[in-house]
Amino acid sequence: MSTRNAAAEKLLLQMVDDYTTREVAPLDMAIDHAQDFPEGYLQQLTQTGFLGLMLPQEFGGAGFGPEVTATVLNHLARGNASTAVTLEGHYKTLDQILKFGTPALQQQLLPSATQRIFAFSMTEASGGSNPMGISSTATREGDHWVINGDKIMITNGGLAQVYCVLVKTAPTELSVFVVDQDMPGFSFGKREDFIGLRGTPVGEIVMDHIIVDDDHLLGKVGDGGLIGDSAHDDARILMGAVLTGIMEHELKIATDYAKERKAGQTPLTELQVTHRKVADIAMRKETTKLLYERAAQLKAAGQPYSEEAAMAKAHGSRAAVAAGDDALQILAGYGYSREYPVEHLIRDARAMEIAEGTVEKMRSAIATAEFHK
Amino acid sequence: MKIVVCIKQVPETNDVTIDPHTHNLDRRGLAGVMNPFDKNAVEQALQLKAATDAEVVLLTMGPDDYAQSLREGMAMGADSGVLLSDRAFAGADTLATGYVLAQAIAKIGDVDLIIFGRQAVDADTGQVGPIVAEFLHQPQITYAATLRLSGPNEVTAERLLEDTKQTLVAQLPAVVSVRSELNTPRYPTPRNIQLSFTKPLTTWHHDDLDLDDTRLGQAGSPTIVTKVYAPTPVKRALTPLTGTPQEAASQLIKALKDRQLL
Repeated sequence: MSTRNAAAEKLLLQMVDDYTTREVAPLDMAIDHAQDFPEGYLQQLTQTGFLGLMLPQEFGGAGFGPEVTATVLNHLARGNASTAVTLEGHYKTLDQILKFGTPALQQQLLPSATQRIFAFSMTEASGGSNPMGISSTATREGDHWVINGDKIMITNGGLAQVYCVLVKTAPTELSVFVVDQDMPGFSFGKREDFIGLRGTPVGEIVMDHIIVDDDHLLGKVGDGGLIGDSAHDDARILMGAVLTGIMEHELKIATDYAKERKAGQTPLTELQVTHRKVADIAMRKETTKLLYERAAQLKAAGQPYSEEAAMAKAHGSRAAVAAGDDALQILAGYGYSREYPVEHLIRDARAMEIAEGTVEKMRSAIATAEFHK
Repeated sequence: MKIVVCIKQVPETNDVTIDPHTHNLDRRGLAGVMNPFDKNAVEQALQLKAATDAEVVLLTMGPDDYAQSLREGMAMGADSGVLLSDRAFAGADTLATGYVLAQAIAKIGDVDLIIFGRQAVDADTGQVGPIVAEFLHQPQITYAATLRLSGPNEVTAERLLEDTKQTLVAQLPAVVSVRSELNTPRYPTPRNIQLSFTKPLTTWHHDDLDLDDTRLGQAGSPTIVTKVYAPTPVKRALTPLTGTPQEAASQLIKALKDRQLL
């Protein structure tokens, strides 16, 4: 369990809010339109120390715990969801190296994680939600492993320099290895043209006869399923936080507009239809916040949190799309215009009904957990 | 080299109210942040620290929660912080504040450079830096838009005034107040925020300083606020002082006497 320092957390969130207001939020629309972060944007994020937020201090990070890490992404997402999701992909990967990596692997990789983005890749053309459907392999040859395969739809794919890759070490055996973009046989493939979270690159890596030693194996041979599930759980908490930030943004746009606009002679703030929509957005935002905070608290306390993490993402993603729809309706024609941010917030939120496990898969996991109680 | 940066904690919001009885700002119940202009002062000190390996000490006067702004400055990179906190200091105007800060700087000792932000955003006086310089009998440069060490024992600064620019050189030790054009303050990184809590933060109370009690708090504050309003700027013609420093001083004294200001 991490030791918390309320004064440090207060200073941190003050800095994050200042940074979000001055450096992130003003670029929200431009990032969506350009389908990329502006030049120098990620360098500034790196220099400001965001990559090392949850990395233990012994590796050069700040060592903030799960609750604070999620809250920071919540606050950043109020300004731009892609920025928060790029960090989410990095943090969930570091979490797995911290949980399953040997001390030697951690010492080798993690000090660079304050400057280099890490990514976790599971999906392939032949399998997404079903990990056993993947085709990538790691084959034992002498005293090393040879990795072959294509990985697609990787959050930060093409941007990250270090990748945890899920591969088969036997027909029914999954394992995770760590590969580096500088290794012979590593190359990048195409970047997806997704409709939302357009700042965050989602891309492909190609592994053609990459040779690694045992020290690049994460956990033990056969731990791939366990590590993959763990990465999903950690990502889902953070996505709940990002979705809360999106809804806070949607709520602000809707209320700011309603306070200024009249329908005929009646201010929108006096119409019951507006009340209902604003109240619904606020309730969706608050319930998602409670869910991700609960999951993060359980994680920090060393308790099981898989079900709560699934709830945060499943509820939050659907809620943020619905909240965006309500906000769009309040803004009416302006909400439907690409000159206003509401429509891209809906597209951003929609991504998280799919990424890190579909909403349908989340519901199945939640129901299964309930049946076992 | 030792640099002291004097900082102030101000209300987080612009929505401050005026106490109807004292006509002073009512800061009760407001969350505080470091005065934004003071971040430029801290940044300047840190840039000098990087160039000269100077020690940077932050100094503030206020209640215990002002330690938060000291931590923020230490998270930016300052080495230590000193909080001056005592009931006897409460209600101080700029003069009484400047007096206690000057006594604390004397106690810190061997200070080469004292940097202030141009003014605090809550009261907007810009007076405390000059007052501290007077108490310490040190040269002062206010509203510096650039600042550099121009010799082993001197600083050079450009002052931006309403319609003119001056380049001034001051022997150290000196007091400088800086404008926001000077630099862009760095953000404290998450790691440095954590590490700031391992840096020394000292609280000095009344008895830790050599103080004249008649100069403290409300009793030591001659300021009486009768009304708060925004004055209309009046533009006047400038009369340059010419000749030797002695001749210029004579012209200044005459001009002040002509206007019955002396």
